[in-house]
Amino acid sequence: MKHGEFRVVNHSVPREDGVAKVTGRAVFTSDIRLDGMAYAKLLRSPVAHARILSVDTREVLRQPGVIAVLTGSDLHGIDPYYGHAVKDHPLLAIGKVRFLGEPVAAVVAEDERSAYEALESVGVEYEELPAVLDVDSALADGAPLLHEMTYRTGGFRGFDDPASTQPGNICQRIHLEWGDAGAAFTSAAHAIEGEFFFPMAYAYAMEPYVSIADYNDAGLTVYSSAQHPFIVRNDLAKVFGLALNRVRLIVPFVGGGYGSKSYTKIEPLTAACSWKTRRPVKLQLSVEEAMLTTRNDDARVRIRMAADREGRFVGLQATILLNTGAYAENSPLVARRAANRVIGPYRIPNVKVDCYAVYTNTVPASSFRGFGATQVTFPRESQIDELAERLGCDPVELRRKNLAARGESIHSGLRPLDADLSGDLSMVVEALTDRPLPKGHGRAVGCSASDAGSDPVSSAVVHVYGDGSISVVMGSTEMGQGSHTVMQQIAAEEMGVAIERVRVVSCDTAITPFDRSTGASRSTTTMGRAVLEACQDAIAQLRNMAADVLKTNPGNLVLERDGIAFQKRHWRWQDVLGEFFGLPDCSIIGRAYLRKAGDLALLPLFWEVGCTGVEVAVDTETGKIHLERLITVGDVGLAIHPAMAEGQDLGAATMGLGLGLYEELVYEGQQLVNGNLLDYRVPRFSDLPPQVDLLLAENRDGIGPYGAKGGGEGSLNPVPASLANALYSATRARVRRLPLTPERVWGALTGRTPELPNSFGSSGVRPQEKDIGR
Amino acid sequence: MMLLRRFEIHQPSNVAEAVQMGAHFGEQASLYAGGTELLLAMKHDVLRYKHLIDVKVIPGLEAIELRDGMIRVGATATHRSIERSALLRSRLPVFTKMESLVANVRVRNTGTLGGNLCFAEPHSDPATLLLVLGASVAVEGPQGRREILMDDFFAGPYETRLAPNEMMTAIQIPLPSGRWRSAYVKFQVHERPMLGLALALETTEDGETFSRARVAVGCVSPCPQRSAAAESLLTGPRPEIERNLPLAAEALADSAELIDDQQGSAEYKRHLIRVFLRRAFVKALEGS
Ligand SMILES: Cc1cc2nc3c(=O)[nH]c(=O)nc-3n(C[C@H](O)[C@H](O)[C@H](O)COP(=O)(O)OP(=O)(O)OC[C@H]3O[C@@H](n4cnc5c(N)ncnc54)[C@H](O)[C@@H]3O)c2cc1C
Repeated sequence: MKHGEFRVVNHSVPREDGVAKVTGRAVFTSDIRLDGMAYAKLLRSPVAHARILSVDTREVLRQPGVIAVLTGSDLHGIDPYYGHAVKDHPLLAIGKVRFLGEPVAAVVAEDERSAYEALESVGVEYEELPAVLDVDSALADGAPLLHEMTYRTGGFRGFDDPASTQPGNICQRIHLEWGDAGAAFTSAAHAIEGEFFFPMAYAYAMEPYVSIADYNDAGLTVYSSAQHPFIVRNDLAKVFGLALNRVRLIVPFVGGGYGSKSYTKIEPLTAACSWKTRRPVKLQLSVEEAMLTTRNDDARVRIRMAADREGRFVGLQATILLNTGAYAENSPLVARRAANRVIGPYRIPNVKVDCYAVYTNTVPASSFRGFGATQVTFPRESQIDELAERLGCDPVELRRKNLAARGESIHSGLRPLDADLSGDLSMVVEALTDRPLPKGHGRAVGCSASDAGSDPVSSAVVHVYGDGSISVVMGSTEMGQGSHTVMQQIAAEEMGVAIERVRVVSCDTAITPFDRSTGASRSTTTMGRAVLEACQDAIAQLRNMAADVLKTNPGNLVLERDGIAFQKRHWRWQDVLGEFFGLPDCSIIGRAYLRKAGDLALLPLFWEVGCTGVEVAVDTETGKIHLERLITVGDVGLAIHPAMAEGQDLGAATMGLGLGLYEELVYEGQQLVNGNLLDYRVPRFSDLPPQVDLLLAENRDGIGPYGAKGGGEGSLNPVPASLANALYSATRARVRRLPLTPERVWGALTGRTPELPNSFGSSGVRPQEKDIGR
Repeated sequence: MMLLRRFEIHQPSNVAEAVQMGAHFGEQASLYAGGTELLLAMKHDVLRYKHLIDVKVIPGLEAIELRDGMIRVGATATHRSIERSALLRSRLPVFTKMESLVANVRVRNTGTLGGNLCFAEPHSDPATLLLVLGASVAVEGPQGRREILMDDFFAGPYETRLAPNEMMTAIQIPLPSGRWRSAYVKFQVHERPMLGLALALETTEDGETFSRARVAVGCVSPCPQRSAAAESLLTGPRPEIERNLPLAAEALADSAELIDDQQGSAEYKRHLIRVFLRRAFVKALEGS
């Protein structure tokens, strides 16, 4: 679908960063070398839960090249606890360790290898404490506590729910309710209940965490592969007691994030190393270390759905237990989102959801593309297919009957649905059923809806220069998703210049104005709109300047694509500037500040919907599933860059394929046993299906520029469930635990019940279980 | 995975010198071919060496040739060169096909057959197939040269019967007569195979009877295993053998000390042996 009025947007122009990246010239944080830079390496805890009795650093300071060693007891003078939601995370373990792999000491040396080789000369004495490694043992009566103290809340929680006041290992509790779910289930014609498990997973980015910090008399400068530079700045300012203008976050290209680089990670520790040594310090983690830094919240979900005789959903009830690991990170918000997103894009009059984020002695969980939606879409969409079978109807028709229409409310108190999901579903079904289903194959569809966009606070500055070139100065980080190109396109479209005339400057918090974050699929919508408004602001100023120069009323000037017309003469912007200032090279600044007001007051900014279809082939002897066809719909309002929007959908769906079929972090006791890329299986090109249809729905129904809205997560969320449903349609084997490994599928095919870990009710009272059980 | 610790590389000009270097540095040294296993283990800090003796620079050690009815693959021949060898493709296609599915092309380009066998990682494709091909390896050490049958080569996971400072110089595979039908099949989800199964059947002239059989299973247990019981169940008239396949699979599974691990449960592996023995049987006899 092409929208004829556009010259630059809605076209797949060459990427702003394309040449630099394919020629290897693009600068990432790890490419940066500062004068006098030293290197840090981390000593990590070998046990999951222990008191640190002593740390002996005498020997390590004698090792060649070693400059300093930093431990939890060297942090006097700074506030070592950070966290945008809950300030529970010490930048190095203080007094005790809470997961195997937690940094206990940092060695700073003249070169990376010397720092690494010296690590084993640090002597640490631990007194082991009983560890809680799963949600069940964390919630058990008398369970060992991870955190004995209560913490302050952080400055960027991102949601209204208060912090947990319950004692014990509950990090966050969310309750959501409308209608009367209990009554709905009592009177419903059909109800179905089940329990599902979504595994622990790692958002593999090719670039592991890396940052460089330079603490000096002028303040703190940090280069980092961070998705949310301004929130990292907040954490750093608080840790070091510095004013915001003394903390400078510079984010070069980021080598992939997928949520794993959202919020603060290794920056406070790197900065503390520089603070201690007064040298610039670089800390670069390996992939294996990155896997010990963040993961998603694995989730056990008990869910039940009820429908009336006509197949209309009348109730949904869910209890979601998230295994949050040792520190809160972003899990409180993930819990809020998981609770919101379990409902899906459906009209359900009676809803009751309880979600708990629970501390355990494992790697801390945080944001992961989809943000709670993957965890809860799998159970709900699986259950809808189960319900369809119970009702004796087609799963597509059951969905169609219950999908909310555009403008209808799916969640009391939130913005009504701003997408035509029935239309999306028709697109998927049409593509999926364009040929007969081969024998032994199965197919399925899935839908999701995520309250996306986060807080709509984004600012942008546009410089219009005396030669007609333009710079867009803004804080969105380019992590491969293409935001630089999108902003460039919007500015070129608005200012009427060739795209090569637009430069994007990002991100340096000393220069670029505030942006809440790069995440929640928000940049095109919020920052895109800020850039558009900043261009319009610049144009309004230029028009006034032209009126001033031409000694006329601005109303007499006719706006044209790249300037104004007055009395048959065309004035380009640079002509106006030259005339106004009387010197070459002068420039003006257009700016825009977006906030939660006006049409952006109601959250979410937009619903990021997902609608996917898959066809699978199953080797029923081995249980191996092969994806044969994939269909995605990018319901993005308007694709500013169609090829990149499709690329986001393919990437997202491929991640869904990984979570559906392969990926799972496995703990044996305290130890993560497959925390490396040889054993942790990410999807490969050879796993992609022979046929992929990436469709775009461009209904211009978004709140972003030109009716655009965000994408990039929607096509991930329903994929794992679609795979499970397609497996069922091919074989009648229902698997309620991901990933759908050949052995699990074989187990289901042969009637071996696939075990769920720590089944609800296996150990005493589970919160809310009585509410959901019969 | 972290950085590599400091080490020195030594480049011997012949096998004798490599052996000498090994003896000189003792425990502080390791032979080093493609490094795809060795360097990975060193980066994970599970192995530490101060000296690496680079055997892939030894001239001629990578040669692939036919000598007296015997295929001789030099120890430093890479998987990729084996996969692409015209000689092997025409004379031992089951071997080149197996090699073409080892790891990925980058590992095949660097990793050597000698390194694969000497590391004795339990998930080796070549090890399993070489067992049924009746291969042996040529080794050279301070005590001179000797040969070890593949049947005797593995002592356990990551353990071989190479004596200290002995190195492998070649893998020798007798060229099978035209009556042998063979196949290698594998099942893989992760980076390394979960199961590899090799089968070789010697047929009578009419093709209706199998006069000899060799079968081995790898990856499912600490070392690849043949099973005499399974092989005898696979010897005899074809219809009987087809009936015997499930029994032979059980016998093979019994010999293999199946274990539960990250790749799968022992029960599932036993099931896979059943499935893949049948698949190997069909594949071996394809077109005959
Ligand atoms: C990602 C990945 C995937 C893989 N997938 C598969 C697979 O699907 N199937 C499979 O079969 N294998 C697989 N492998 C293993 C691969 O085949 C081996 O890594 C490779 O063949 C080892 O050879 P190398 O030359 O690199 O050995 P090196 O790493 O150099 O050496 C390995 C060991 O052998 C010793 N050694 C080397 N040469 C000699 C010699 N001539 N004499 C005595 N000792 C010697 C070394 O001292 C060392 O201990 C995989 C490996 C990786 C990294």
